[in-house]
Amino acid sequence: MFKKWDIILIVLLICLSFIPELVFGVMMGKNYNGTYAEVTLDGKFYKKILLSEHRGEDKIDVKTEYGYNIIEIKDASIGIIDADCRDRICIKSGFISKPGQLSVCLPHKLMVEIKSNDNEKNIDVIQAH
Amino acid sequence: MKKILMLFKHTEVNQMSKTFRIVFIGLLVSQALALYTIESMIPVPFIAPGAKLGLANLITVIALYTLNNKKDVFLIIILRLLLSTMFGGNLSTFMYGAAGAILSYLVMTCAKALGKDKLSIIGVSAAGALFHNVGQLIVASAIVQNIAIMLYLPILSIAGVGTGIFIGITANFIVEHMSKLPYFRDLNISG
Repeated sequence: MFKKWDIILIVLLICLSFIPELVFGVMMGKNYNGTYAEVTLDGKFYKKILLSEHRGEDKIDVKTEYGYNIIEIKDASIGIIDADCRDRICIKSGFISKPGQLSVCLPHKLMVEIKSNDNEKNIDVIQAH
Repeated sequence: MKKILMLFKHTEVNQMSKTFRIVFIGLLVSQALALYTIESMIPVPFIAPGAKLGLANLITVIALYTLNNKKDVFLIIILRLLLSTMFGGNLSTFMYGAAGAILSYLVMTCAKALGKDKLSIIGVSAAGALFHNVGQLIVASAIVQNIAIMLYLPILSIAGVGTGIFIGITANFIVEHMSKLPYFRDLNISG
């Protein structure tokens, strides 16, 4: 029933079926369409954090002359979890993850904005094919 | 005497073959349709939607190994596609089915011709099943206009090769038994 070449052919075909996966992997690596968070202090660029690839939890302490903020990155979302400002509005805005969302701490002049590398695809446009 | 006997046999076969061919094609098409109907009653139990048993492929494989004329195999496929669309299908199932069936037919004829003694019916059937999936995914990505659907290929191909092997084993048994019949005695079936 089974012959040697049958097994060779089947294994070869299964390996071939992974070609699209590899090709897309290479293409994705080149122009990666992901979201990232941009942290600005007093209007100046402070840090860029890649979000869509992020897994697990990370904390960033931002200390300025006005006070401190603790930014937490949880998986693909980012938020300010602690600050010593008066109104603490930045903490109330919670975790953000979608491009265009903002988390601002006005007294400390700190802003966390989510941006996307993918300029062509507007998030508000639903394409109907 | 021997020559006359051979001539007689030859003419007999020739005379019979025309009717026999029509009846046999009709039988295979009706069997394929019955299998298609039964298969459509089975709910998709797999994690992968789109993965099917591909029972109709069984008939294609059998036809490929019992009919000498490759055009007849193609005719069976086309008839099966058209009739199954009329019985229980729509244009989209026809498009998916046609692309898959024609591509798998081409691959199976190539595989059978290239690996005459090396490949058994199982390998041919598995290759056909895999390229059936490839054809369907090509149509799907053409409809959605997104080539990223091809990323789904590994899951489908593993499922397809699995069912293809079982279809091949089944076809192997059937063809083995059919080769005992007088009409198929002169077939060169590699079991």
